[in-house]
Amino acid sequence: MSMFEIHGGFTGLAASSRVRLARNLKGYPFRLTDAQHQEIADKVFATLQNNPTIGPEFEKKQIIPRSTEASQLVEEHLISPDLAQNGGWLIVSGDGGVSIMIGEEDHLRLQVIGSGLCPKECLETANRIAALIESALPFAYDERLGYLTACPTNVGTGLRASIMLHLPLLTATGEINQMVGYAGSRGCAVRGAYGEGSKAVGGFYQISNQVTLGASAAELTDKLVETATTIIDAEKKAREQVRSRNEAGLRDRIYRAAGTLRSAYLIETAEAVQCISDVLVGLQMGMLSGIDPQKLYTLEQRIRPAMLTGAPQERDQKRASMLREAAQNIRFA
Amino acid sequence: MKCEKCGKNEATMYYKETVGGVTREMHLCPECAQKENLGGAFENAFQSMNHFWSDPFHSFLGGGFGSLWNDMLGSPTATMLGTERKCPTCGMTESELRRTGRVGCPDCYNTFSDILNPYVQKIHGATQHIGTAPASPEQPKADPIESLRAQLKTAVENEEYEQAARLRDEIRRMEGEQK
Repeated sequence: MSMFEIHGGFTGLAASSRVRLARNLKGYPFRLTDAQHQEIADKVFATLQNNPTIGPEFEKKQIIPRSTEASQLVEEHLISPDLAQNGGWLIVSGDGGVSIMIGEEDHLRLQVIGSGLCPKECLETANRIAALIESALPFAYDERLGYLTACPTNVGTGLRASIMLHLPLLTATGEINQMVGYAGSRGCAVRGAYGEGSKAVGGFYQISNQVTLGASAAELTDKLVETATTIIDAEKKAREQVRSRNEAGLRDRIYRAAGTLRSAYLIETAEAVQCISDVLVGLQMGMLSGIDPQKLYTLEQRIRPAMLTGAPQERDQKRASMLREAAQNIRFA
Repeated sequence: MKCEKCGKNEATMYYKETVGGVTREMHLCPECAQKENLGGAFENAFQSMNHFWSDPFHSFLGGGFGSLWNDMLGSPTATMLGTERKCPTCGMTESELRRTGRVGCPDCYNTFSDILNPYVQKIHGATQHIGTAPASPEQPKADPIESLRAQLKTAVENEEYEQAARLRDEIRRMEGEQK
């Protein structure tokens, strides 16, 4: 296993976890020139390189605005759309588990990603790396407001912890709206994973902490995990209710989705995501086996348009081919 | 210059709009600007900034962000006349802060504390950071639980009960970790 891979165990419902810390270096304004971005990227990279254990894990790359590589990094969730648009720097570990964006509205956005439900573990790693950087490059900090950020919505801990949840049944029954309300009352926001206001394709949602000040990062993360767990339990319950009402119908839908993944020669993104979503439900409910849900979820990211090259039909063909290969051992239980 | 609407207060806001080739300009006092609901005209522009779905660092307040920010800070496109307040460190002006919702440098939080503190309180429901702080090698750090207890005492004295409850929970959590 590589150094920064964090596995929280894919329950079939919590697909991945992510923690981001916003930090700004003391002595600089928030808005920097391109030369200052490079200077900060060099300093941060040098600090990491000075640590013999983790230094060799990292590489530094320049983000060329609107480049193909930048779009791919956005789809891999390694950089934000803003950074892809405006350019900057990325310091990233070989496994992609730890990444530091330089050139966003804050000087540094340190991100740790893990699979499954593991925001606490991600936070521990993020804290360790932030402390290492801070030991050489002091951050802008205020006794009262904590870590200072360009936008007042991020001051204090500078923490944004999020969990990607797979909630297709709550989406189908409409209960998701109550869950959004419940999460809001717990200080958490829920939104579709692939687009503000867009429908959550395949039932993938991201839940994150809303406030960043007035509670410690650990406390905010604990609350996020508790809230996510309650929502996961509601999704499980909804799945079992559908099974008890119409098991044959459910099984038919899941088997057909598996059949499509195994045999389609051309497939568009939306249909592929929907089939992957159905197959993930089948795996979690014991109706299918023979494929690792985590692998399938990773594939869900890799088949997105920016990750594949070529004309639309060529992409549909490549996507179908990747899915056929991954799904060839699926078994119907 | 007096406000064009009420004719009483000093006009500190300048508003200009061009609709269908007709340009309208007004010099208003803050109260009349509020009554004219100029802030609402720009809510759409603010909402388009909230493309936070893929960037969780942007505001989570959704459509409310525009109106909240406007409520707290006044019209985001109104320009303050005369000698405008500026951050001595980075040169960020008050009108730019109101327009962008972003501060220019760490010192802006002091320069514009009268604007930013109520805003921070409204978003986070708190004004005191809890948790990780930079290690200072010169002064050994005080016991973090003791420091939280002191903050709790102050919060209770100031009748800030929500903040007090948060601090109490954090103390319990940290005490739990030590056991």
